[in-house]
Amino acid sequence: MSNIFTQDDSPVSVDTLTESYSESWEGVQGIEQSSAFIQFMASDDLIWVVLGVSLIIWFILLFFIIRVDKKVSRLEKAVEESGKQESSGSDKEIQDNQSAS
Amino acid sequence: MTLVVILGFSIRIPQIDILEQTARNLFLHVPMWFTMMVAFAMAFYFSIRYLNDEQMKWDRKAETATAVGLVFGICGLLTGSLWARFTWGTWWTFAEPRMNLSALAMLIFVAYFILRTAFSDEEKRAKISAVYNIFGVTTIPFLLYIIPRQLPSLHPGAEGNPAFSEITAPELRIIFYPAVIGFIGIAIWLMDIVNRYKKVKELTESRI
Repeated sequence: MSNIFTQDDSPVSVDTLTESYSESWEGVQGIEQSSAFIQFMASDDLIWVVLGVSLIIWFILLFFIIRVDKKVSRLEKAVEESGKQESSGSDKEIQDNQSAS
Repeated sequence: MTLVVILGFSIRIPQIDILEQTARNLFLHVPMWFTMMVAFAMAFYFSIRYLNDEQMKWDRKAETATAVGLVFGICGLLTGSLWARFTWGTWWTFAEPRMNLSALAMLIFVAYFILRTAFSDEEKRAKISAVYNIFGVTTIPFLLYIIPRQLPSLHPGAEGNPAFSEITAPELRIIFYPAVIGFIGIAIWLMDIVNRYKKVKELTESRI
């Protein structure tokens, strides 16, 4: 476990900005005065931050996949309509396909 | 490639159960950037291939790789911002070069897609965006590796210190490397899906 804590400490050991910017780095110290959300996120060894990070990745990837899915279903519709149009062959449906795709 | 993705999923899921504190963000935040680098490197390769033999398939692949890379880059920025709030005490700081330069890199690739929409002629669009992409990807190592290493930074790896090799515990590495491979696998899988979609779309459009 001690090895894991060195990972936490490492940004501090290379932090040359703390002296000059210490007033702007007080978020962690002043956590008691901040909002309930921030307090909740900072509880339990910051595990909720890890949860938040994984949720951000998950939702962005999910959003991307859903977007691709929507495009695929639009394409599917266009393919189905073009199949219908081959059998009936009306001009209106050809126009519809072109506007859909 | 399916094997890589299955490997990525099956290895990454048990890790999340043992996550205890923010040091474990290493498995999530850092592979985002690695994946983005790989995606942009692939986009670079495909752009060069396009300029070589001018087949639309290379342009499609370059666009997809850039899109996936941008998605992972945005993931990296947002996760980094959340992580920074609870370790450095701020959502965003202009004193941190790596943070701002990676945001700049994201803007370069957003501009790539804006550039693409500016052309209606397909070949012209493909050619100019391939050239732009080659320039854009060339800036990435400078923005994300060289300049941040010269400047004082809160990220590990500032001022010439080794970012990863000495300060990372060996237990973390066992999980970190499969996580990197897993995320890269997911990225390649996403690219493959989008490429197949674009190919089918092109086929149906040419048939209509």
